[in-house]
Amino acid sequence: MSAFTELRAGDAVFTASFAVERADLVAYAEASGDHNPIHLDEAAARAAGLPDVIAHGMYTMGLVSRAVLEWAAEAGLDAEFGEFSSRFAKPVVVPAEGGAVVEIEAKVRKAGADSVELAITVLSAGEKVLAPARVTLVANRPHTA
Amino acid sequence: MLNASYVGRSLPTTDPVTITAESVSRFARSLGLGETESVPPTYLISLTLPAADPLIEDPDFGLDFTKVLHREQRFVYHRGLRAGDRVSCTVTVESIKTVAGNDLLALRTDVTDDEGLAAEVWTTLFVAGGGA
Repeated sequence: MSAFTELRAGDAVFTASFAVERADLVAYAEASGDHNPIHLDEAAARAAGLPDVIAHGMYTMGLVSRAVLEWAAEAGLDAEFGEFSSRFAKPVVVPAEGGAVVEIEAKVRKAGADSVELAITVLSAGEKVLAPARVTLVANRPHTA
Repeated sequence: MLNASYVGRSLPTTDPVTITAESVSRFARSLGLGETESVPPTYLISLTLPAADPLIEDPDFGLDFTKVLHREQRFVYHRGLRAGDRVSCTVTVESIKTVAGNDLLALRTDVTDDEGLAAEVWTTLFVAGGGA
């Protein structure tokens, strides 16, 4: 639990960057069961008024969870998610050629003795795609089931 | 336009399903997460969205899923779930707001296991032209 006490509101705690390709969206669609064609097919995306195929908002949110879990492991925080929220402000557009990049930056919003709330900025192609994401990590609770 | 009389209404609770190790590891892999028995933070969406299918299929509700974009998402976790846990979902229509001819539909799904409420999942959907 000591690692939590080293965190201060306003601290920038990590940045992460992930490349996203169409194949990643296909794999995510299979894993999540969300087969909305705007995430898989250009024609369907354009018919819905989008510039091209877009990532599932939940895929982007999933990448944020990955960045947080990787940071927590590195920082030696024995912690799990207590709360996770975001608003999908702009789509992550994923062209067939070259894909997209999602850039994640996290700051401490509130620090407690056994929890920390992070404010997370997520950019793609220079636009804020999540506005913003927030994660509350809490010291690991025993699993009783 | 969505049928506002559904606000406050809950769908029948789904039959309990076992969270399989295979589905957890496939979900984790698709996000580049390491091998884990703990359910990844966003995994529950794979249970809560299908739980809302009866609402999408209900002609009286009037939801055209081809006009839907995901607007907001929030998870509150009361305890960590693991592969092997059995859970049920109860979807409630929390609110419907019409803004500039579009609808914002907020759903809350209670995810329960043998011990009670394990997580709450809020999903807000933007429904284009729903109010036109």
